[in-house]
Amino acid sequence: MNGYHNVNSISALAQQQSQQNRVKVGVRNWQNGSVQDLMNFLSRNTRIAMTDANVEGPLVTGYVQNRTDADALMRWNGIRFAGQNLKIEILEDSNGGTSNTIMLLKNFLYRRYNAQAKMLDLGNLHADPDLVQKGLFSSISTQSKMFPALMKLASKEPQMVVESINLSDNNLKDVSGITTLAQSFPNLKNLCLANNQIARFRSLEVWKNKFKDLRELLMTNNPITNDKLYRSEMLRLFPKLVILDSVIVRDEQKLNVIYSLPMKLQQFFFETNDLGSSSTDFVANFLNFWDSDRTQLLPLYTPQSQFSLSVDSSMPPSSVADSDQNPSFGYYLSSSRNISKVSSEKSIQQRLSLGPETINNAFKSIPRTKHHIQDRPNEYSMQVISYPQVNGFIITLHGFFEETEKPEVDAYNKSNGPTRTRRFNHGHNTSNNRLSKKSFDRTWVIVPTGNGVVIASDLLAIRPFTSAAWVLESQQPVTNTSSISNSSGVNPAANTPPFASPVPGAIGTAGAPTAGALGTPVIQPNNPAMPLNGGAVPQIAPTLQLPPDVQSRLNPVQLELLNKLHLETKLNAEYTYILAEQSGWNYEVAIKGFQSSLNNLPREAFIQ
Amino acid sequence: MSRYSSGSTNTGSNHSQITELFVKKILAHLDDTDPQKLNQFLTLFNPNNGKIVFNAAPFANLSLFLQTWQTQVVQTQHALTAIDYHVIPGSQTLICNVNCKVRFDESGRDKMGLDATVQQNQQQQNRNRPASRPLWGTYFGVSLQLVIDERIFANDMNGVVSAFNYNMVYKPDDSLMRIL
Repeated sequence: MNGYHNVNSISALAQQQSQQNRVKVGVRNWQNGSVQDLMNFLSRNTRIAMTDANVEGPLVTGYVQNRTDADALMRWNGIRFAGQNLKIEILEDSNGGTSNTIMLLKNFLYRRYNAQAKMLDLGNLHADPDLVQKGLFSSISTQSKMFPALMKLASKEPQMVVESINLSDNNLKDVSGITTLAQSFPNLKNLCLANNQIARFRSLEVWKNKFKDLRELLMTNNPITNDKLYRSEMLRLFPKLVILDSVIVRDEQKLNVIYSLPMKLQQFFFETNDLGSSSTDFVANFLNFWDSDRTQLLPLYTPQSQFSLSVDSSMPPSSVADSDQNPSFGYYLSSSRNISKVSSEKSIQQRLSLGPETINNAFKSIPRTKHHIQDRPNEYSMQVISYPQVNGFIITLHGFFEETEKPEVDAYNKSNGPTRTRRFNHGHNTSNNRLSKKSFDRTWVIVPTGNGVVIASDLLAIRPFTSAAWVLESQQPVTNTSSISNSSGVNPAANTPPFASPVPGAIGTAGAPTAGALGTPVIQPNNPAMPLNGGAVPQIAPTLQLPPDVQSRLNPVQLELLNKLHLETKLNAEYTYILAEQSGWNYEVAIKGFQSSLNNLPREAFIQ
Repeated sequence: MSRYSSGSTNTGSNHSQITELFVKKILAHLDDTDPQKLNQFLTLFNPNNGKIVFNAAPFANLSLFLQTWQTQVVQTQHALTAIDYHVIPGSQTLICNVNCKVRFDESGRDKMGLDATVQQNQQQQNRNRPASRPLWGTYFGVSLQLVIDERIFANDMNGVVSAFNYNMVYKPDDSLMRIL
């Protein structure tokens, strides 16, 4: 009976428990303020409580509640306090977690990481007292394991954004011990290998076609630099290298022109502003019915309307993210009207569906689908242009769908397909009919009528699933240190979701299958001769002066957004643009980002 | 509406071959590095209200597009993978839905054969580069929509293209080219 029913001892136990979990941290570089100032500053900015502060030499030490808090605090490493960048380090876990090497290396990494410069300093590791003391240089074998371990750990720390690595003064004879650098940091921009003993090109060959963004390389004081071919070899290995040993070797501007398209890929284009909402409505409603009940769509097709599908069975390269390298097109091939593959003119004619009845049959022979235009709008891209020859519009949608069920009517058993019976007699197997995700490009020619639209032409191209080209890699969260919008304020997923609005009520329910089912006037008859760059451009505030080359790259929707942001924030043209770009051209996100970083903006950011 | 509903759907026998050839011709023009041939390309487009949209950005006019393409885009190679088309009755036009792949010369040289290397000294400058071959990167996916006048079926190619909507739909991770 050690009195465990005593309330006091329970709270003592709890306290003991929390004492056990707490983690000791240290802060350096706090010279220009008092300890109390520092504590206030940290708790204000980080929202992490640090207790029992104590000055130990150049260090202020204290405790945070647990490992999670300690890790969170580490993310603020490099934050500016009274004119200095604070160095924050984890000193020890009271529960003895530091004894394990991973923790040691992790702490080491954070000590060597400068968040503001996005730089990981791994220079002169032999002289690091901690590493030496822990015996990591005691033998060659531990030494050779340490580099890859460090790289792996560093690449796994999401808050560690590394653009520069310093590996100088490490007695490296070749790069064999650090080859994994290329896997850990493929987008590294600056690398310093100075003061090592690297003598041969051969060892660098493993980095060929890696480090495609490497801009600066420092190799001074390596024997290799004396080689006659040194410069040309380095240029060959690193295609985007601009500065080699502090000398400019490539014209960066020219390099950018060569390796980037002047027409940057965007997700949406609408020839006129009002086309945007009506065509997104049309597409959202159309796909909703396409996924639920295709017969509801038939009133949109006239006896002259045409539908056909074409299969692009060409395999995307394996280096395309998420690409389906084993696609199955079994349900589509028999009706594919890909005229670069189908040679028989008779088949080409047969595979064109004309009028609602034939189109309905074609629809029935295509697998049931689920599109994700509402919940994953980023994965769809759309262009809308006028089609004056029919007084209508062309809507093109790129994206993906999931196949949910096999077709209502199996094309192989179709009684009205006289030419189809023989071909599939041999070697036909069911794996061709596996249901999977597909990517597609669909083009509708639509003609507004009095109270709705008709579809004059509907062209569907089916291809193997891939992730979309317009989706930014940087749509994963990125720690932004010096930017306008504070990283936590921006939700990258909230990037221009024009489809995010729910489908209007007129749809969804058992709406009368009339041409007006897609909502009253879905597409307003519009002046089809509207010039692409002319009248559609919104009025721009005179204080928003964009360089002509920038302005010419923007579509009217973007210009309008810039204008709105500019007027709202009073930021100057440059900052308005940066803000818009960082927010993924989303007004709400931009304003939120602006408000959260208002205090950090320089005076010159605003209209003077 | 009246224009649209009049006329009949023409499914002539060799129309698909002509359409395919014409699309191939357009892709071949894009791949051409000879600035002299630009003018020939220009003649295919409707000079009055031809529309160019490239990667969801409009171009004010065709010559601006071709100039940008010629001076700021490295050599390309297009490969047609799928094509389908509808002749829209009453409009005297057809609409094409095209899929193709494109890869870029990633050797670091532009269409004129110039690279970004800063010349180190006279000796290197004088060294004549051998006629350099392109170093093709990995394929990108492209979706292309075209509005073409029916006149191509009568072998008339003057100003027949009135809309050109070119968009990249997938990109490889291992390319040096930036499209975003």
